[in-house]
Amino acid sequence: MASMERQNVTIPQVSNPTEDHGLVRAAREGDRAAFGRLYDRYARMVHGILLSRIPPREVDDLVQEVFLSALRQLHALRDIARFGAWLATITRNRANDYYRKAGPEAARTEPVLEKEGAERGNDHAQEQEAAIILELIRGLPETYREPLILRLVEGMTGPEIAERTGLTHGSVRVNLCRGMQLLREKLGQGAPVERSRPV
Amino acid sequence: MKDDYLWDSSGEPDPEIQKLESALGRFRHNQPAPAFDQVADLLPDKRRSWFFTWRLSFQIAAVATGILLAATTYFYLGSKPGVQQSASWEVARLAGEPRVGSKTLGANAGVGKLGVGQLLETDSSSRAAISLFETGSVEVDGGSRVRLVTNGPGRKRLSLERGTIHARIWAPPGEFVVDTPSAVAVDLGCVYTLHVDDSGAGLLRTTMGWVGFKLNGHESFIPAGAVCATRPRIGPGTPYFEDALPAFREALSRFDFETTMGGERGALLGVLIADARKRDALTLWHLLSRVSDADRPGVFDRLASLAPPPAGVTREGILRLDRPMLDAWWNSLGYGEVFVWRTYERNWSQPQSETK
Repeated sequence: MASMERQNVTIPQVSNPTEDHGLVRAAREGDRAAFGRLYDRYARMVHGILLSRIPPREVDDLVQEVFLSALRQLHALRDIARFGAWLATITRNRANDYYRKAGPEAARTEPVLEKEGAERGNDHAQEQEAAIILELIRGLPETYREPLILRLVEGMTGPEIAERTGLTHGSVRVNLCRGMQLLREKLGQGAPVERSRPV
Repeated sequence: MKDDYLWDSSGEPDPEIQKLESALGRFRHNQPAPAFDQVADLLPDKRRSWFFTWRLSFQIAAVATGILLAATTYFYLGSKPGVQQSASWEVARLAGEPRVGSKTLGANAGVGKLGVGQLLETDSSSRAAISLFETGSVEVDGGSRVRLVTNGPGRKRLSLERGTIHARIWAPPGEFVVDTPSAVAVDLGCVYTLHVDDSGAGLLRTTMGWVGFKLNGHESFIPAGAVCATRPRIGPGTPYFEDALPAFREALSRFDFETTMGGERGALLGVLIADARKRDALTLWHLLSRVSDADRPGVFDRLASLAPPPAGVTREGILRLDRPMLDAWWNSLGYGEVFVWRTYERNWSQPQSETK
């Protein structure tokens, strides 16, 4: 999967639901370029959902698997307006499947993260801090860690998260606020990083 | 509002959030799109367009072959009513000698096929595993009877007549359901165990994700860590977390399944309200729509004290069982978005025997 040839595509920051519907419709009719544009629009959501559940080192490959799975199943999508919610569900199921297939060993998410962090940049201390913060978020209840990662890691705004995942603005806003409150408490406590599988 | 920056990056920047964004940005998605146009064998359309490039003579030959195959299948299946051999799932023996239809899977029997209408049966010493391509897997414990009811695209249906199954499902929500004698379990992306005893009573225990349990309009949502019992002619009871207080569990079982008079029923409800912990909001939310109009305010007040309703959800609305308000309150509990259920539950919710 990782060896699949890639195309350079600019990741858009602004969404347009009507345009998304057109892309989904075109992709269902076999337009691969349209599906590629859907990837550009939804890859951060898929990446963030996966990152909230599985070890970071596995996320990039699984992002591609999720989109290929969606491509295979796209003809079964009943409501194109629910594409984002549908894709989010596929992503969550794929993350669950990861643990089913990988077994308990996969639950020990780090210290691979530390190694990966060291490879990404030169400032090891900053990398370690980022890894610790990510683990703190991953230790939060599922309801909160997903929107927080989409907001703080993927850089999506609350309205974008709601639109992409099919949730209501109110639900996302509440979960962001409560999640941020919990994260602040953990950061304030200097909580140790729990190296356990997200619940 | 003070959380404007967190919400949409507007308003006065929050230095702590900015620091988090800066630190965590290194994990952000940065992979360009794969070359989807080079994935040649994924979509039916691609295969179809390739098909239409064949020469006319080849098409005629293919059509003739198809007609011949269809006719053969029709006559073959026609001689075996109730069993569609083309739509089968793989069954592997895990222990003992499980039976698939009339075939026994011994130690060296390899993989069996469970066709639509066929029965997989295990005695007390045997176990088996059903593999469902791109759907999941189901382990069948000893002393079980499992029948494959439906196996269409996006619709997989088993019937657990007796015994225990452990389901691990990764198909999209709502694609996999299990009938029991007293309720229908609709998978919403999860891992769960379902047990049915000889009387037809059942118990569903969710390990991961959540499951919808439904019969005759009676809905129960069972998130990870929770269980839900079901009884013939009554349907699913109220879900609860297994670490609830013993008195709470006892009262709930009697409230759901025993014929009790007004005063006694009120006493049981009193126990449920008094002994409910914050985590038992799951149970109280379900009780809102299961108690009488007179009892509903008490349930509302206790639930509101444990898990305050979100903005827009009013006491008056809940007391008249306003569906959007009930759904919004459920969503705020953090067990899963109810639209998943409303979207995918579709028409699965009656056992096959009742929908005929």
